[in-house]
Amino acid sequence: MNREELLRVESVCFTDAGGAACRDVSFSMARGENLVIFGPEGSGAEVVCPLIAGTVISFDGEIFFKGRSVESYDYFERHTYRKELGYLQRNYGLINNMSAEENIELPLRYHSRLSSGEIGSLVNRLIGELGLDHCRALRPVSLSGSETLRTAYCRAIALDPDLLLIEHALEGQCLLNSQQFMRALGRWCAREDRSVVIVTYEPERFVDFSDRFIMLYEGGIVFSGSRDDFLARRNEYLDQYMRSSLDGPMRVR
Amino acid sequence: MYIVRRRIRPVCRAGSGKTMKNRRAQKATEKTAMLKIESVLRTPVKKIIAFGEGMRNFYRFVESIAVSFRSIKYLRFRSIYSIVVNQTRFTGVDALPIIVSIALLLGATTIIQATKNFPKFGIEGFIGNLLVIIIARELGPLATAMIVVSRSGSAIAAEIATQKQNREILSLELMGIDTKLYIVFPRILASILAIFSLIIIFDITAFFGGYLISLSTVYIPAGVFVQTMLDAFSFSDLAITILKSVLYGILIPLICCYYGFMPQSDFQIPIFVSRAVVRTLVILFVINAFISALFYF
Repeated sequence: MNREELLRVESVCFTDAGGAACRDVSFSMARGENLVIFGPEGSGAEVVCPLIAGTVISFDGEIFFKGRSVESYDYFERHTYRKELGYLQRNYGLINNMSAEENIELPLRYHSRLSSGEIGSLVNRLIGELGLDHCRALRPVSLSGSETLRTAYCRAIALDPDLLLIEHALEGQCLLNSQQFMRALGRWCAREDRSVVIVTYEPERFVDFSDRFIMLYEGGIVFSGSRDDFLARRNEYLDQYMRSSLDGPMRVR
Repeated sequence: MYIVRRRIRPVCRAGSGKTMKNRRAQKATEKTAMLKIESVLRTPVKKIIAFGEGMRNFYRFVESIAVSFRSIKYLRFRSIYSIVVNQTRFTGVDALPIIVSIALLLGATTIIQATKNFPKFGIEGFIGNLLVIIIARELGPLATAMIVVSRSGSAIAAEIATQKQNREILSLELMGIDTKLYIVFPRILASILAIFSLIIIFDITAFFGGYLISLSTVYIPAGVFVQTMLDAFSFSDLAITILKSVLYGILIPLICCYYGFMPQSDFQIPIFVSRAVVRTLVILFVINAFISALFYF
C-alpha cells in the first residue's frame, strides 16, 4: 500500500550556535511511519527536531511537510503549522505557573474550537490514560521526573498531531517509572495515521515501535535502515555505538 | 625576553644616557595621557552607539508585537483570561495597601504644607486648585506608575526572563502559540485596567484621607474643601488621567517584557530586571513631563 508522504528532508545543512551541525542530511517518512534518529553527542541529531518544527528560519536544503516547504511559511503559517506537530522537548518545557492539568489544556484552549466541557473531558481521558490523576492540580515543580514526562507527553498529543517529535525524552528517567509513558507511546506509534520522530541516545529502547533507524555522526548520516538492519548491526558505526566502545571509526571527544 | 633585553641595553647606553631615559619616560606619559583621553572620549561615543542600538532593538520588538497583533482575531480570549485576571489582581488589587498608604501620606503632607503656607500669601482659597494640580494631574499618576513599575514591572521582567531560561517560551512557540500575543497582550490589558483604577483610588485617597489626617494639624471645613476641589477639577483633568493611565499601562509591560526577553543566560536576569525598572521609570518621567508640557504649558 502506498502511503502519503508526510515529511521529506532534502540535503539539509545547518550549524546551530552551540556548534551542533547537520551536513547534507536527507530522509523522508510516510504517514504512519515511525523513525528513530540517534547518534553520539554533537552528531547533529539534536538539531533535526528544531529544523522540522521550523524554529530555525534559515538553513540550506529543504524540509517538506505534506508537500510544502517549511521554510516558505510566513510568521502566521508557521504557528498554524506547529498545531500539526506535537513536540516533546528534552527538558519538557512545562509552564511553571500552571498546574499539570492546565499545562495539558493550554494548546486546546489556545487552538481548538472545543467547548470548555469538551476540553475538560479530553484532558480527563489523557490524564486517566497516563495515570496522572493524583497530580493533576500540582505545579511542575512538585512533579516527579516521570510525571513531568507524562504531563509533557499529554500536552504534546493533546491536539492529536500528525507528527510527534520526541527529543531525548527518556534522559534521566527511571526505567520503571517511564514504562507508563512507553506504553502510551507504543499505542501512539501503532496508529496507522500518525507518525513519530524520536531523537535519542538509546535507540534500543524504541526498537519495538520504530520502523526505521537513522544514525548521525559529525552531522552526516552513517547508518539508515529498517528495524532488522538495526538489530543485525552490520554497520561499523552502529556496532561501535551499540557496544559503547571507544574502538571503531568514531572518535569520541 | 632575556636575550632581547641584553641586545637592547648596549644601544641605550650608547645613546645619550639620562636624556634618552627622560624622553622615553615623557613619551610613555604622553602615550598614557592620549590613551586616557581616548578612553574618556570613547565612553560617551560607545554609550551613544549602545543607546541607538537599544532603541533600534526596542523598535524591532514593538514592530514584532504589532505584527503579532494582526492575528489577534484568531486569539481565543479564554486562553488569556486567567493571565489577565492574575495580572490585574497582582498589579491592581495586591498593590492597594501600598497605594493607599502612599496616597494618604502624600495627600496629608500636601494639605498640611498648603494650609500652613498659603495664608502667608493670602491664597488659602486655592487649596483645592493645588490638590488638583499636584495630586490629580501629576503626583497621582506618577506615583501610581512608579509603584506599579517597582512591583509589577520588575515581576514581569523577572518572570519572562526565567520562563525564557527554562525554555517555557520556546515550548509555547513549539505549541504554535504566538508568545508576543500570549505574553505581552494580556499584560498590557491588565496593566491599563489596574493603573487606571489605582490612579483613581490614589487621587480619592489622597484628597479625602489627606484631608482627614490634616485635620489633626489645621481645620478646614469639609464643605469648603470639597467645593474648592470641585471648582478646580475640570473634564480635561479626567481626560489626561485616562490618557496617562493608558500610556503607562502600555509602556510599563511593553518595556518590562522587552527586557524580560533579553537575557541570554541565568546570570543576566538580575541585570535586565534592574534595567527594566530603571529605564521604565526614566521613560515615565519623560512621558509625564511631555504630557504636562503638551496640555498645560
